Amino acid sequence: MTLTESLFENLRLELRRGCLTLAVLAQLKQEHYGYTLRKALASRGMEIDESTLYPLLRRLEAQGLLTSEWREEEKRNKRFYKLSSDGEQIFTRLLDEWNRINTSITNLL
Amino acid sequence: MELLDRYLQAVKKHLPWQRQDDIIAELRANLEAQLEDKEAELGRPLTQQEAEEWIKQLGSPLQVAARYQRHQYLIGPGLFPTYWYVLKLAFYWVTAIYVVAKTITFAAVGSSPEAYAGIALSLPWIWLTNGAIVTLVFAVIELSGSQFGRKIAQLPPLNPGWSPLDLPPVDANDNENRRWSFAKAMAEVIFGCLFFAWLLLVPHYPYLMFGPGAWYLASLPYKLAHAWWPFYWCIVGINGFELMWKIADLTGGAWQKRRVWRHWAMHSLSLIPLGILLAAPGQQLFLAKTVAANAKSLADANRGLHTALMVAVAVVALQIVWHTGKMVVEAYRKRVAA
Repeated sequence: MTLTESLFENLRLELRRGCLTLAVLAQLKQEHYGYTLRKALASRGMEIDESTLYPLLRRLEAQGLLTSEWREEEKRNKRFYKLSSDGEQIFTRLLDEWNRINTSITNLL
Repeated sequence: MELLDRYLQAVKKHLPWQRQDDIIAELRANLEAQLEDKEAELGRPLTQQEAEEWIKQLGSPLQVAARYQRHQYLIGPGLFPTYWYVLKLAFYWVTAIYVVAKTITFAAVGSSPEAYAGIALSLPWIWLTNGAIVTLVFAVIELSGSQFGRKIAQLPPLNPGWSPLDLPPVDANDNENRRWSFAKAMAEVIFGCLFFAWLLLVPHYPYLMFGPGAWYLASLPYKLAHAWWPFYWCIVGINGFELMWKIADLTGGAWQKRRVWRHWAMHSLSLIPLGILLAAPGQQLFLAKTVAANAKSLADANRGLHTALMVAVAVVALQIVWHTGKMVVEAYRKRVAA
């Protein structure tokens, strides 16, 4: 990988990091377990690696933005995640911020 | 699938022990659901090669497990600026204390080339040890909880609550931003001339330096050793040289020029008179006028003055090293900016 490519990749990942959190919070208005969440995000154009998504869910839960429960589905125990009430508030504010940034960038371009 | 079991087992080894089972159970459920989807899509089980490729793209067990770690860094971004500030402070202080302590030791018990080499060799180890201790303390603060870490970082003097009005005034020695007017440069030359004249008159009229104390000093049973004369003429020479430099700057219209080089040159030249005194035969800077003079107190005074000169030389040498370093850094900055 050339220096430019490597720089681009770093900046791309940095840009994506915050967006991924927003996307996950948006998608978890409905309950999901890890794999179906990943599929739902991918079907809307937001591909996320397993190794990024599953730890992110844990982190968001530890921060109080998500709640989770173990439940059996299709003869398999799965951990289902959903937006908590705190998570809903934070998500609304983050979404406002995202829209503001998006508008600013659009104006700049 | 056996390969998946092996993979999860490898991931588990690197996970935090309290949450290992929980994380692995969740990861297994997700990956098995994904595997079922893949196989349903293909209408058959994955071949060995397909399974290998799938597992490989999940990432190495070590990296996957690392993402579940709460702390993936020794010192986090919240604490890092404070850590860096303390590390730099510790570096300067440890170096200064060590060099001064060694200088005093040398002055007291004598020195040798091996002893100087010993300083040069042991300094890197002292820096490393010092850096390791500071890093360890901050790593413990970081590990003991981000909340505690933030509180520590906010403690004065690590992070004094600041206001723009509390900022220190512009550094008087910041030659880059300092404006030097013609009047100031002129005043500098005039006072330089007066000082130079005073310096030349002092040997003939000691009361110009000591006031009424000059007659008292003359009555003491001690006199200055010969080494003071080359010392004095060296001081005269250096001051004359600096005065000529100032006059040349003034007449050449360069009074606004930065004084970094002049400052550095004068500082370096000041080592010469100090060296002259240090090299005085038998370290004798005061001599007895008469045989009756107290030889012991004279020897004590000479030894004390010699020690003080050693410390002064060390301090001046450190200042020169410091200024040289600053000049090199500034030259490098300019080069980068260009």
